[in-house]
Amino acid sequence: MLRFSAIALAALLAFGHPAGAEDKPTLTVYTYDSFAAEWGPGPALKSGFEATCGCTVTYVSAEDAISALRRVQLEGATTKADAVVGLDTFIAGDARATGLFAPHGIDTSGLSFPWTDPDFVPFDYGYFAFVYNKEKTPNPPASFEDLIKLPASFKIVVMDPRSSTPGLGLVVWIKDAYGDRAAEIWSGLKPHILTMSRGWSEGYGLFLKGEADMALSYTTSPAYHALAENDTRYAAATFSEGHIAQVEVSGILKSSPNQDLARSFLAYMASPEGQKAIPQTNWMYPVIDLGAELPEAFGTPPTKQLPVDEATVTANRNAWIEEALAAIR
Amino acid sequence: MPRSASRVIPPRPLRLAGGAAIAVAIALLIGTTFWSILSAATGQPTAGSSTDIGYLIYITTLQAALSTVFSLIVGVALAWALNRLRFPGRTLVIGLFASAIVTPGIIVAFGLLAVWGRSGWLGGLGVPVFGLGGVVAAHIILDAAFAARILLARLDAIPEARLKTGQSLALSPWTRFANIDWPAIRGTLPGLAAIIFLLAFTSFPIVLLLGGGPAVQTLEVAIYAAARLDFDLVMAVKLALIQIALCSAIILASSALAPISTSLDRPAEPRWRDAGAAHVLQWLVLALALFGFAAPLLAVLADGFRGLGDVLTDRGFWGAALTSVLVGAASALLALVLGLLIAAARAATTSRVARVAIGAPAYAYLAVPAVALALGAFLFVRNLGVTPDAAAPLIVVIANALLSLPFVMAALAPLFEAIAQSRGRLIRSLGLGGVRQFTAIEWPLLARDVGLVLALSFCFSLGDLGVIALFDTQDFVTLPLLMVRALGAYRTNDAATIAALMLLLTIGAFITLPALFERLSRART
Repeated sequence: MLRFSAIALAALLAFGHPAGAEDKPTLTVYTYDSFAAEWGPGPALKSGFEATCGCTVTYVSAEDAISALRRVQLEGATTKADAVVGLDTFIAGDARATGLFAPHGIDTSGLSFPWTDPDFVPFDYGYFAFVYNKEKTPNPPASFEDLIKLPASFKIVVMDPRSSTPGLGLVVWIKDAYGDRAAEIWSGLKPHILTMSRGWSEGYGLFLKGEADMALSYTTSPAYHALAENDTRYAAATFSEGHIAQVEVSGILKSSPNQDLARSFLAYMASPEGQKAIPQTNWMYPVIDLGAELPEAFGTPPTKQLPVDEATVTANRNAWIEEALAAIR
Repeated sequence: MPRSASRVIPPRPLRLAGGAAIAVAIALLIGTTFWSILSAATGQPTAGSSTDIGYLIYITTLQAALSTVFSLIVGVALAWALNRLRFPGRTLVIGLFASAIVTPGIIVAFGLLAVWGRSGWLGGLGVPVFGLGGVVAAHIILDAAFAARILLARLDAIPEARLKTGQSLALSPWTRFANIDWPAIRGTLPGLAAIIFLLAFTSFPIVLLLGGGPAVQTLEVAIYAAARLDFDLVMAVKLALIQIALCSAIILASSALAPISTSLDRPAEPRWRDAGAAHVLQWLVLALALFGFAAPLLAVLADGFRGLGDVLTDRGFWGAALTSVLVGAASALLALVLGLLIAAARAATTSRVARVAIGAPAYAYLAVPAVALALGAFLFVRNLGVTPDAAAPLIVVIANALLSLPFVMAALAPLFEAIAQSRGRLIRSLGLGGVRQFTAIEWPLLARDVGLVLALSFCFSLGDLGVIALFDTQDFVTLPLLMVRALGAYRTNDAATIAALMLLLTIGAFITLPALFERLSRART
């Protein structure tokens, strides 16, 4: 026993780190909790990538993507992160401004939509929409103005823009669709807002419990109920103003010694094999055309889409939140 | 009586030093938390979010004050009823009541909706659940039953001789309450008020879930937004300090109150029943409370048992359950030790300043916003050169122990005071040392309540979600985290089942731990 410890000690001194680490590089990915959790896309992407990369993928998860970014910012150049996965349209501007991210250098011409961002690579996207129960609400509103005209007993659940990404998404959506009339739309919505929950999960839970007629979520939410629960009662209301997309992206950190490996991982996530792992775990659309591999339940994206300008969102986010909250206080 | 107390209390410099050391350590920890955040903030641009802070402070204070007042009124009424009434299943009812405060607020909120919501059991009645009323109602469910549990322990400890005298004087139910019950519970109320105010003030998801929009919200939402969305750490610290300052006013007021003697006898079989209207009222209070408090919790249990198989066969569940139990047990023991030391020190002095200085930090930690705690701990550990993820279990245990310290204090501090005053002369005359004082006099009188205290802090840590948030949670998963993950992945049934199992574990702890320590305390004497 003593001899064994002596050998182990010698080995430790010789290599400077514990035995067993071998020379396999480790790719450290900061992401949000539900991405890395057992029901998320993380595990499948990890094993798929590890099969060919000769590396180990380690997820370090924070409560959400914004928190993962903030952690990288706090750690600065000393961060262990090689890549951050799960940033989105609404926080990409902040992330870019930190100067911590390196150009990704990945060929994005194969994506199903044009993509020119040099810093971030998309891996899935979805459209914000109000989800309803077709049996209980046979005639859902077809626009924000339709919704406003309904009796006050028709309730919706939204999320607080200060604590939730869909909540922030709704603020941007209404501003995008109505511009100077946004405050007017918000005050029209006020009688219908049952509550403004802290996060998406509690708010959507309220809706599933039957406390509200519609909840702010994604056009792809009904696909979960149809495919995982065999329940086809849910649908997403199409609004005539058009819908805005939340595109989820990843970035490589300048400080990473494994930038090539990180690049391969991000490219793998956008590859046909990687993309197949995403729709039925993250319940979002793939960024490449999967053809018949994408279950029909996902339907087609809304035909009318509103563009989201990252710089405008980043610059005006707080003013828009203030405006919305003031209108419904 | 308190006037002469200084001559009665045995001098215990070591106890004072121990309590003072812990108080200083906690104060330093809170200071370090903010210092770490502020030093990380240097160079950050200040976004200057102009959220209506004044309104948030007003509405949060109002909500917390209403929650506190109503919780205490309901708590006293319920403790009064439970003290008088005996019925089959009483132990179970008491366990169920006490478990509410440590159940994650979101679970209670959903239970409330399952009964009163528009699709709930009684949805047809159209009781408004959303808005200030709903938030206060949820807080009453969480906190009043807890207050009742602590107060019941005090009522049960009223000396039998005192009751016999009262009975022989044929006191009316009201005179009995005013002259016998009220003096027994008065000393416990300030500590309870401080805890309930702090819990209601810092309550976050429950307020947003039931508040019904920005009109009823909480200061924590602004702190969270400043720290996370705006990354304006200076603003986050400023707001957190405002929150602590407001809460400190309540903490200081409650710690500065002079100690009030509390009785220490064992619960006896009640032979003195209140007659007539009071007896009917007691049953009415109990029935209302059973319905109001137990129904939402039963709804959680009923809701959870549909998907039981799926959850129980999941290996992740058992891992998380084990982690939660270990974290809970470690935090509970740490909280108990710290609480005993602080309560003993506080009882060893009659100086008001010393009592506040020793007691207040024990409560102050609860006033620190969860996001500041997590951020501060993360930065502090990093500054020490330790990987935050490796330190996560230790940090979570320490933080949970400190968060549940107020519960320990609320239950134990009045007992130490009472012992110092009623047994002080005896201890001095016997010339007992500090250790003998504890083993021979204090422990036998405390042991019964230690079970309750352990159950409280065990379950509080079990259900905690706040501190774990900023750490890597890949390999360190607790039950509440698993529940949130299930909710976030559309798996509402799994989440409901995990919630129900957590509630069962909590109720189990509240029934078994006090009973176990009750037996231990009897074995000692």
